[in-house]
Amino acid sequence: SIPSSAVPGGNTELLQEEQQARSALRESFLRCLLSISNKKVQFHMHENVKVEATFGASDIDVLNFQVSNLHTPIGVQKEALIRCQDVISFTFDV
Amino acid sequence: SWRSSVAPPAERPGERRAAEMRKLYGEDASKILAMEAAMQLTFERNCDLKRPKYWPVIPLKL
Amino acid sequence: MPHDWLLLGPLQWFSYVHKQVKVKLGRDEEHRGWLVTVDPVSASLVLVNFTERGASVRVVMGHAVEEVEVLREADPETTELLCTYFLPLETPKLDP
Repeated sequence: SIPSSAVPGGNTELLQEEQQARSALRESFLRCLLSISNKKVQFHMHENVKVEATFGASDIDVLNFQVSNLHTPIGVQKEALIRCQDVISFTFDV
Repeated sequence: SWRSSVAPPAERPGERRAAEMRKLYGEDASKILAMEAAMQLTFERNCDLKRPKYWPVIPLKL
Repeated sequence: MPHDWLLLGPLQWFSYVHKQVKVKLGRDEEHRGWLVTVDPVSASLVLVNFTERGASVRVVMGHAVEEVEVLREADPETTELLCTYFLPLETPKLDP
Protein backbone atom coordinates (compact mmCIF):
# COMPACT_ATOMS: atom_id res chain seq x y z
CA SER A 1 0.00 0.00 0.00
CA ILE A 2 1.05 3.61 -0.56
CA PRO A 3 1.82 5.48 2.65
CA SER A 4 -0.17 8.69 2.90
CA SER A 5 3.06 10.65 3.14
CA ALA A 6 3.58 9.93 -0.57
CA VAL A 7 0.84 12.44 -1.35
CA PRO A 8 1.82 15.78 0.17
CA GLY A 9 -1.31 17.53 -1.17
CA GLY A 10 -3.55 14.94 0.47
CA ASN A 11 -1.65 15.39 3.69
CA THR A 12 -2.40 19.08 3.82
CA GLU A 13 -6.07 18.37 3.35
CA LEU A 14 -6.01 15.72 6.03
CA LEU A 15 -4.13 18.04 8.36
CA GLN A 16 -6.75 20.75 7.86
CA GLU A 17 -9.55 18.28 8.45
CA GLU A 18 -7.87 17.16 11.63
CA GLN A 19 -7.38 20.75 12.79
CA GLN A 20 -11.05 21.50 12.13
CA ALA A 21 -12.17 18.42 14.02
CA ARG A 22 -9.85 19.23 16.92
CA SER A 23 -10.99 22.83 17.22
CA ALA A 24 -14.71 21.94 16.99
CA LEU A 25 -14.30 19.29 19.69
CA ARG A 26 -12.20 21.53 21.90
CA GLU A 27 -14.48 24.55 21.58
CA SER A 28 -17.50 22.46 22.46
CA PHE A 29 -15.70 20.95 25.45
CA LEU A 30 -14.55 24.34 26.74
CA ARG A 31 -18.11 25.64 26.44
CA CYS A 32 -19.31 22.62 28.36
CA LEU A 33 -16.84 23.37 31.18
CA LEU A 34 -17.78 27.05 31.19
CA SER A 35 -21.46 26.16 31.41
CA ILE A 36 -20.94 24.18 34.65
CA SER A 37 -19.80 27.23 36.60
CA ASN A 38 -21.91 27.56 39.80
CA LYS A 39 -23.75 24.31 39.08
CA LYS A 40 -24.09 21.42 41.49
CA VAL A 41 -21.92 18.55 40.32
CA GLN A 42 -21.70 14.95 41.51
CA PHE A 43 -18.19 13.55 41.29
CA HIS A 44 -17.68 9.84 40.93
CA MET A 45 -14.09 9.17 41.97
CA HIS A 46 -11.69 6.27 42.33
CA GLU A 47 -12.02 4.00 45.39
CA ASN A 48 -15.80 4.32 45.01
CA VAL A 49 -15.80 7.85 46.45
CA LYS A 50 -18.86 9.92 45.56
CA VAL A 51 -19.01 13.60 46.52
CA GLU A 52 -21.09 16.61 45.60
CA ALA A 53 -19.84 20.17 45.14
CA THR A 54 -20.54 23.45 43.40
CA PHE A 55 -18.36 23.66 40.33
CA GLY A 56 -16.09 26.68 40.00
CA ALA A 57 -13.61 26.34 37.19
CA SER A 58 -11.26 23.93 35.48
CA ASP A 59 -7.73 24.62 34.38
CA ILE A 60 -7.25 24.30 30.63
CA ASP A 61 -5.12 21.17 30.85
CA VAL A 62 -7.95 19.41 32.70
CA LEU A 63 -5.71 18.55 35.66
CA ASN A 64 -7.66 20.30 38.46
CA PHE A 65 -11.22 21.34 39.19
CA GLN A 66 -11.78 24.24 41.56
CA VAL A 67 -14.98 23.67 43.56
CA SER A 68 -16.86 25.11 46.54
CA ASN A 69 -18.97 23.52 49.28
CA LEU A 70 -17.52 20.08 48.77
CA HIS A 71 -19.51 17.53 50.74
CA THR A 72 -16.87 15.08 51.88
CA PRO A 73 -17.64 12.00 53.99
CA ILE A 74 -16.37 13.90 57.07
CA GLY A 75 -18.00 17.27 56.48
CA VAL A 76 -18.15 20.24 54.15
CA GLN A 77 -14.94 21.73 52.80
CA LYS A 78 -15.70 25.31 51.78
CA GLU A 79 -13.09 25.58 49.03
CA ALA A 80 -11.34 22.66 47.37
CA LEU A 81 -9.28 21.52 44.43
CA ILE A 82 -10.05 18.13 42.97
CA ARG A 83 -7.42 16.28 40.99
CA CYS A 84 -8.84 15.15 37.67
CA GLN A 85 -6.77 11.97 37.94
CA ASP A 86 -8.90 11.06 40.97
CA VAL A 87 -12.13 11.52 39.00
CA ILE A 88 -13.75 8.82 36.90
CA SER A 89 -16.75 10.87 35.82
CA PHE A 90 -19.00 13.67 36.99
CA THR A 91 -22.60 14.62 36.29
CA PHE A 92 -24.76 17.71 36.30
CA ASP A 93 -28.18 18.74 35.00
CA VAL A 94 -28.84 21.24 32.24
CA SER B 1 17.32 52.06 21.36
CA TRP B 2 17.97 50.90 24.89
CA ARG B 3 16.95 47.39 23.89
CA SER B 4 19.89 47.02 21.54
CA SER B 5 22.28 47.46 24.43
CA VAL B 6 21.01 44.40 26.33
CA ALA B 7 21.21 40.74 25.44
CA PRO B 8 18.59 39.57 22.94
CA PRO B 9 15.46 38.38 24.73
CA ALA B 10 14.93 34.66 25.06
CA GLU B 11 12.20 33.14 22.90
CA ARG B 12 8.95 34.54 24.17
CA PRO B 13 6.73 31.78 25.60
CA GLY B 14 3.59 33.45 24.24
CA GLU B 15 4.86 33.24 20.69
CA ARG B 16 5.89 29.64 21.04
CA ARG B 17 2.48 28.72 22.41
CA ALA B 18 0.78 30.56 19.56
CA ALA B 19 2.82 28.58 17.05
CA GLU B 20 1.93 25.30 18.74
CA MET B 21 -1.73 26.25 18.81
CA ARG B 22 -1.61 27.14 15.13
CA LYS B 23 -0.26 23.69 14.36
CA LEU B 24 -2.98 22.00 16.41
CA TYR B 25 -6.00 24.14 15.60
CA GLY B 26 -5.18 25.79 12.26
CA GLU B 27 -7.38 28.77 11.41
CA ASP B 28 -9.26 28.55 14.72
CA ALA B 29 -6.11 28.77 16.83
CA SER B 30 -6.62 32.36 17.98
CA LYS B 31 -10.24 31.67 18.98
CA ILE B 32 -9.29 28.59 21.02
CA LEU B 33 -6.30 30.42 22.51
CA ALA B 34 -8.58 33.27 23.64
CA MET B 35 -11.13 30.91 25.17
CA GLU B 36 -8.40 28.99 26.99
CA ALA B 37 -6.80 32.19 28.26
CA ALA B 38 -10.12 33.38 29.67
CA MET B 39 -10.80 30.04 31.33
CA GLN B 40 -7.33 29.73 32.81
CA LEU B 41 -7.56 33.28 34.14
CA THR B 42 -10.86 32.48 35.87
CA PHE B 43 -9.35 29.33 37.36
CA GLU B 44 -6.26 31.11 38.63
CA ARG B 45 -8.18 34.07 40.00
CA ASN B 46 -10.61 31.79 41.82
CA CYS B 47 -7.65 29.93 43.33
CA ASP B 48 -6.03 33.22 44.41
CA LEU B 49 -9.24 34.45 46.03
CA LYS B 50 -10.54 31.25 47.59
CA ARG B 51 -7.29 29.46 48.42
CA PRO B 52 -8.73 25.99 47.88
CA LYS B 53 -6.89 22.99 49.33
CA TYR B 54 -6.60 19.66 47.60
CA TRP B 55 -9.19 17.08 48.49
CA PRO B 56 -8.44 14.40 49.24
CA VAL B 57 -5.07 15.46 50.66
CA ILE B 58 -3.46 12.29 49.35
CA PRO B 59 -4.32 11.46 45.73
CA LEU B 60 -6.67 8.50 45.32
CA LYS B 61 -4.84 7.46 42.22
CA LEU B 62 -1.21 8.20 41.42
CA MET C 1 -3.30 0.16 31.40
CA PRO C 2 -3.13 2.60 28.50
CA HIS C 3 -6.02 2.32 26.11
CA ASP C 4 -6.50 3.07 22.44
CA TRP C 5 -9.22 5.62 23.21
CA LEU C 6 -6.57 8.07 24.38
CA LEU C 7 -4.67 7.67 21.12
CA LEU C 8 -7.49 7.77 18.58
CA GLY C 9 -7.04 11.42 17.58
CA PRO C 10 -9.46 14.19 16.56
CA LEU C 11 -10.83 12.67 13.36
CA GLN C 12 -11.65 9.37 15.05
CA TRP C 13 -13.14 11.06 18.12
CA PHE C 14 -15.20 13.30 15.88
CA SER C 15 -16.77 10.25 14.22
CA TYR C 16 -18.46 9.41 17.57
CA VAL C 17 -20.17 12.81 17.84
CA HIS C 18 -23.99 12.62 18.03
CA LYS C 19 -23.98 8.84 18.33
CA GLN C 20 -25.43 6.97 21.25
CA VAL C 21 -22.56 5.17 22.89
CA LYS C 22 -21.81 2.76 25.68
CA VAL C 23 -18.66 3.69 27.57
CA LYS C 24 -17.00 0.91 29.49
CA LEU C 25 -14.93 1.82 32.51
CA GLY C 26 -13.16 -0.62 34.78
CA ARG C 27 -14.90 -3.11 37.04
CA ASP C 28 -18.24 -3.70 35.30
CA GLU C 29 -19.01 0.01 35.21
CA GLU C 30 -20.52 1.49 32.10
CA HIS C 31 -22.44 4.56 31.02
CA ARG C 32 -24.69 5.19 28.06
CA GLY C 33 -25.58 8.46 26.44
CA TRP C 34 -25.48 10.65 23.36
CA LEU C 35 -21.92 11.76 22.77
CA VAL C 36 -21.71 15.52 22.35
CA THR C 37 -17.98 16.08 22.26
CA VAL C 38 -14.57 14.67 23.15
CA ASP C 39 -11.89 16.93 24.59
CA PRO C 40 -8.88 16.57 22.27
CA VAL C 41 -6.57 17.45 25.17
CA SER C 42 -7.73 14.95 27.82
CA ALA C 43 -9.82 12.58 25.65
CA SER C 44 -12.65 13.14 28.13
CA LEU C 45 -16.08 12.63 26.65
CA VAL C 46 -19.34 14.44 27.24
CA LEU C 47 -22.51 12.34 27.28
CA VAL C 48 -26.06 13.70 27.33
CA ASN C 49 -29.18 11.84 28.46
CA PHE C 50 -32.56 13.47 28.09
CA THR C 51 -34.78 13.70 31.16
CA GLU C 52 -38.22 15.18 31.92
CA ARG C 53 -36.58 18.34 33.22
CA GLY C 54 -34.13 18.77 30.38
CA ALA C 55 -30.97 16.75 30.26
CA SER C 56 -28.37 15.17 32.44
CA VAL C 57 -24.76 15.52 31.37
CA ARG C 58 -21.97 13.14 32.30
CA VAL C 59 -18.34 13.97 31.63
CA VAL C 60 -16.22 10.82 31.62
CA MET C 61 -12.50 11.44 32.12
CA GLY C 62 -10.43 10.11 29.23
CA HIS C 63 -7.99 8.25 31.47
CA ALA C 64 -10.83 6.12 32.90
CA VAL C 65 -12.19 4.98 29.53
CA GLU C 66 -11.63 1.35 28.59
CA GLU C 67 -13.89 1.01 25.60
CA VAL C 68 -16.41 3.05 23.64
CA GLU C 69 -19.05 1.24 21.62
CA VAL C 70 -21.52 2.88 19.24
CA LEU C 71 -25.10 1.77 19.94
CA ARG C 72 -26.93 3.81 17.32
CA GLU C 73 -26.97 6.95 15.24
CA ALA C 74 -29.19 9.88 16.09
CA ASP C 75 -32.34 10.51 14.04
CA PRO C 76 -32.66 14.03 12.56
CA GLU C 77 -34.83 15.20 15.47
CA THR C 78 -32.32 14.04 18.09
CA THR C 79 -29.42 15.48 16.10
CA GLU C 80 -31.13 18.86 16.05
CA LEU C 81 -31.63 18.69 19.81
CA LEU C 82 -28.04 17.56 20.43
CA CYS C 83 -26.76 20.46 18.34
CA THR C 84 -28.14 22.87 20.93
CA TYR C 85 -25.72 21.65 23.58
CA PHE C 86 -22.53 23.65 24.19
CA LEU C 87 -22.86 25.56 20.98
CA PRO C 88 -20.99 28.81 20.49
CA LEU C 89 -24.12 30.79 21.35
CA GLU C 90 -22.34 33.39 23.40
CA THR C 91 -18.76 34.43 23.84
CA PRO C 92 -17.15 33.24 27.05
CA LYS C 93 -17.16 36.04 29.57
CA LEU C 94 -15.00 36.70 32.55
CA ASP C 95 -16.55 37.16 35.94
CA PRO C 96 -16.69 40.84 36.96
